[in-house]
Amino acid sequence: MIIFDNVNMAAVTDPESEVFEITDFTTASEWERFVSRVEEVLNEWKLTGNSTRKLSKEKADYSNGTWEEKSQEINFVDFTFSMTHYALVQENENDTNTELEEAPFPLAMQDLLCTKNDFPPRAHCLVRWYGIREFVVISPGPNVEAIISESKCNLLLSSISVSLVNSGCQVPMFVQIQQKWRRLYSGECQGHGVHTEFEMVHLRKVPSQYNHLSGLLDIFKSKTGYTIYPLPPINVAIRFTYILQDWQQHSWPLQPPDFDNLLGGEVGVEEFGKLPFGACEETISELHLSTTWPELTEGTVLDNDVYSDLDPLHAPHWALRIKTVEHPQCLLGDLLTDLFKLRGRKETTEEILGRGSAEEEGKDSTISSALSRLTEPAAPVPISKLSVSSMVHNARRHIQRHRLNDESPLGIEELNCILQYLFPDAAMDKTENQSAQPNSYGKSQKDQNTDDLFIQLKSAPVESLTHRLALCMCLVNSYHGGLRAVAYLWQEFVLELRYRWENNYQICGLQEELPDLRCCLLHQKLQMLNCCIKRKQARDNICNTPERSSETASQNVHQPTQFTATASSSQITAGSPGKSLDSWSDSEEEFFECLSDQGDTETPSMRREKDGSKTRAEGRMHPCNNMTLLNSSELLFIPVTQEPAPMTEDLLEEQSEILAKLGTSAEGAQLRARMQSACLLSDMESFKAANPGSVLEDFVRWYSPRDFLEEEIVNETSQTILKGQLSPRMKIPGNIWVETWENAKAVPAHRQRRLFDDTREAEKVLHFLEVQKPADLSCHLLPCIIHAAILKLKEEEASENIPSVKNNIQKVTVQASKLLQQFNPDYSNLQDCIDFLIAMEMVIAQYRSLKTKFAIAEAENEEQRENLRQFLNSLLEDPEVVVSGAGHGKIGGIIHRLFVNVQESANLDKEPGQKKNEERKLTEGDSKNHDFPSPAGREILLRTCIPRPAPYSKSLPQRLFCVLTRDEFRLVGAFSSDTSFF
Amino acid sequence: MDDDVLTTLKLLIIGESGVGKSSLLLRFTEDTFDPEQSATIGVDFKVKTLAIDGNKAKLAIWDTAGQERFRTLTPSYYRGAQGVILVYDVTKRDTFTKLENWLNELETYTTRNDIVKMLVGNKIDRDDHEVDRNEGLKFARKHAMLFIEASAKTKDGVQCAFEELVEKILQTPGLWESESQGQTLRLGNQEQGGGRACGGYCSVP
Repeated sequence: MIIFDNVNMAAVTDPESEVFEITDFTTASEWERFVSRVEEVLNEWKLTGNSTRKLSKEKADYSNGTWEEKSQEINFVDFTFSMTHYALVQENENDTNTELEEAPFPLAMQDLLCTKNDFPPRAHCLVRWYGIREFVVISPGPNVEAIISESKCNLLLSSISVSLVNSGCQVPMFVQIQQKWRRLYSGECQGHGVHTEFEMVHLRKVPSQYNHLSGLLDIFKSKTGYTIYPLPPINVAIRFTYILQDWQQHSWPLQPPDFDNLLGGEVGVEEFGKLPFGACEETISELHLSTTWPELTEGTVLDNDVYSDLDPLHAPHWALRIKTVEHPQCLLGDLLTDLFKLRGRKETTEEILGRGSAEEEGKDSTISSALSRLTEPAAPVPISKLSVSSMVHNARRHIQRHRLNDESPLGIEELNCILQYLFPDAAMDKTENQSAQPNSYGKSQKDQNTDDLFIQLKSAPVESLTHRLALCMCLVNSYHGGLRAVAYLWQEFVLELRYRWENNYQICGLQEELPDLRCCLLHQKLQMLNCCIKRKQARDNICNTPERSSETASQNVHQPTQFTATASSSQITAGSPGKSLDSWSDSEEEFFECLSDQGDTETPSMRREKDGSKTRAEGRMHPCNNMTLLNSSELLFIPVTQEPAPMTEDLLEEQSEILAKLGTSAEGAQLRARMQSACLLSDMESFKAANPGSVLEDFVRWYSPRDFLEEEIVNETSQTILKGQLSPRMKIPGNIWVETWENAKAVPAHRQRRLFDDTREAEKVLHFLEVQKPADLSCHLLPCIIHAAILKLKEEEASENIPSVKNNIQKVTVQASKLLQQFNPDYSNLQDCIDFLIAMEMVIAQYRSLKTKFAIAEAENEEQRENLRQFLNSLLEDPEVVVSGAGHGKIGGIIHRLFVNVQESANLDKEPGQKKNEERKLTEGDSKNHDFPSPAGREILLRTCIPRPAPYSKSLPQRLFCVLTRDEFRLVGAFSSDTSFF
Repeated sequence: MDDDVLTTLKLLIIGESGVGKSSLLLRFTEDTFDPEQSATIGVDFKVKTLAIDGNKAKLAIWDTAGQERFRTLTPSYYRGAQGVILVYDVTKRDTFTKLENWLNELETYTTRNDIVKMLVGNKIDRDDHEVDRNEGLKFARKHAMLFIEASAKTKDGVQCAFEELVEKILQTPGLWESESQGQTLRLGNQEQGGGRACGGYCSVP
């Protein structure tokens, strides 16, 4: 403090400032500027006021309360420091305001003596050592060398000293000196007429004379200059920490599943639907038991180089914490990470598999996937061109190709196994398949009710093909050959789809009829392909294979295609509105007559047509509310119309963009209407075909009834009759409705140009699928995998019941949902979600590890089991958990036994003499109790309040915190003195 | 021009045919009324920038045809909408009774469940009301919607309807912001203080 005094003197007695009355800072040194900068920051942070508050009686929540941190960079010449203010947010601020009593000295000095906040489980080291709740630290900025030399240290200390006095700040301020890892701080706190110096000693080894309480008490006494008599008592708090890190007794229970075995045969298929789960290694690395003796008084406990009273088993206070393995290998986590990493691979499927293979297979459309052999025997007529021999031939070529390039990423059995899992219908008999499909549909519908997670995550329903594909890709990626195997499987998958398209087999496991826009794009694409297959099927059935059509017709009851419907409607007489299922199948024979020779099947009612009777009615569905045409007595029929084109979200986006691009002008609107009038035209043509002689008014009555206004008018013979006319907007000359009507020819739907070109759309989908790189694929499948992972976590959590995990699953679902609903998900945020899922897997694995260690299964009764369960849960959530009853409680007993077991097995390994020596050397104080190892750390806290520096000075707080470990000896002291007369 | 626009919102107008959806939109975007507004085919589209509390929002409004047959086409465009205006004609009861169907449709085809809905009873300039204001109110309350009666012809309530809807959307958290503003995940047992505060256990290995 010599420097500090000198500076003050200099400022006061500077002769020049007295003479000229000009304040001249032009010559201010770098050092002065640094000091003023520090003061400025203190002022900015409003730390300069008289912040003396009375210490509240309650225990402050040092570890769970909120710590506020403010940081600012300051420079000393070109040396950057960061100045940081830490403060515990006081929750009961109001209470302290009411008792605005002036405290005798700064809050920090009161904190030094407070015994309520000792050993906080989690806090800044200065908080732990000094018990303070507010302080400022100046430490060298990042990438700046540490302050090692003594003169630099002193310079800094002087600076803070000057700043504190100048600004009247009562918050303690520290500077960090020496290398960062040593955590050496030096500091000072200024009050009115009092000040506290904070200083530290840090050594590698514990000097033997200070390796116990009595030695440390000697240091404390000599440091405080203990001269008065009688001596005020010294308050002592002690905490010993024991570490258990030997789990020989509990070998890690989970063995990683043997994935090669899964593919061995029969079991394989089912196993592909399951995600692996759990940690492959021990997840808990250490148990730390802290035994605390709070508030002892000097003399009541003896601890010297030959004897110690401190038996951990009898410590009044036990607390336990766990140290977890940082990144244990977790199965589910690895799987997710691997898939996510795939996103970064730029290679195309071709580049990965070599150019030839894809082309060769793509060109030769008769070669299909390996699965074709499975489908083939039961395959019905349509693939007549594929003889059995050609199938065999192809399969052989397939295998040969595999043999040729030996490094084929997936074995043929593996591949078959996967494809069978993906397309279970292929293995089944065709008839069996048809009955099986509705079943699986029903099941998944039930799933949908209980679990709409797929909507939230925009993935695909569980059990859907897309979901299963995601699981397979994930497993293949992690366990069966990585990138190449993924590319290969994808290629085979797309080939199988192409095979199905070309041979009219529906793809099972896609549920919805039309693309479900709530699902991921890949799922929509597959559904789209299925739509195309269905429509093609319907078409082909009519054209090619008469004897199979009835089956198709009854299959399609829920979704009549224009063709079958046309056929049946020819059967219906004017009087029969609607059709039963029976009438569909009944009609089959006439149906084909009708197609071949339509003219003959006209019913008598149709022949009775008036004016337009020359044209025959075609494509009728059923009459519309028994209305008759305006210009005739014919019933008004609703025509069979073309179905709308199914759309996937990318098509839709494209279309919306085109429509939006037309702008908002009248012309734009007109053009837009025209672009969309194809559907209207088609409907009008169908209507005209079904209702020969109809007029626009008739059409409007069906299509847009509110545009046909009917009013009662009284005619000449004073009868009230209904007279109808088009609404004004329909009468506008040249409006699109009128125009389209005029252009519409009477053509039934099945002879119109298709609004939806299933061939083109299917090819588009297949092309889209073919060009997806493995990286794209991983993006497409990510929602499904996150979905599956969440389900897996839920399932695993349910068997353990861990509240924190349950909560976090909710949280991560919400977050993932937000991200995945976006058109272009933010993948860096998704990474967070995945990390979060992994963390949860880890917590569950940790819990399971703890469960076996604490032998929860062997608990005496339900109540005890529940207690233990809660205890373990808190261990996972809180930094430190109090063991109720300390060493004598139930849980204490279990912990004690864990230590004893390890000690016993350790003793067996050592020769007695050697052991004794070692133990003596390490812990002289603990030679009595051999149940525990020597403590890994000892913390001893000494406090008192005595006058310093002279016996007649004020009584002020003094504190010494000692840390003794195997490779560290640290004395952390805070010594206050009365500066009134010094 | 778009620099100061806070966000772009997608709005929908749906309802039975002939209730005046396109007229409402025309009144709002161009402040005109065309008695000869032709029946919409498929979907139509208009844009308008609206200032709410000093924030400019660009509105992309999709107007749809009300005819039953078009319903196979139009719902595709519901995707991604943040707000919807559901219109009925106060002089035609059937347009009111069919509202439930429209809500079901919305439920099925919209991609988000927090979409803001507004019910508008149009054509209040006419005398032959068949649907009482209170009925509209009741329906709106039952389905948690905003409600207003309006007339595209006389301008009554039109501007207000759109403004209220947009304001409500802007007030709904998560409905329009970019995701980066969203909160980040935090494990329940993660340390709050960040890396600076070393573990309390730091002094012992």
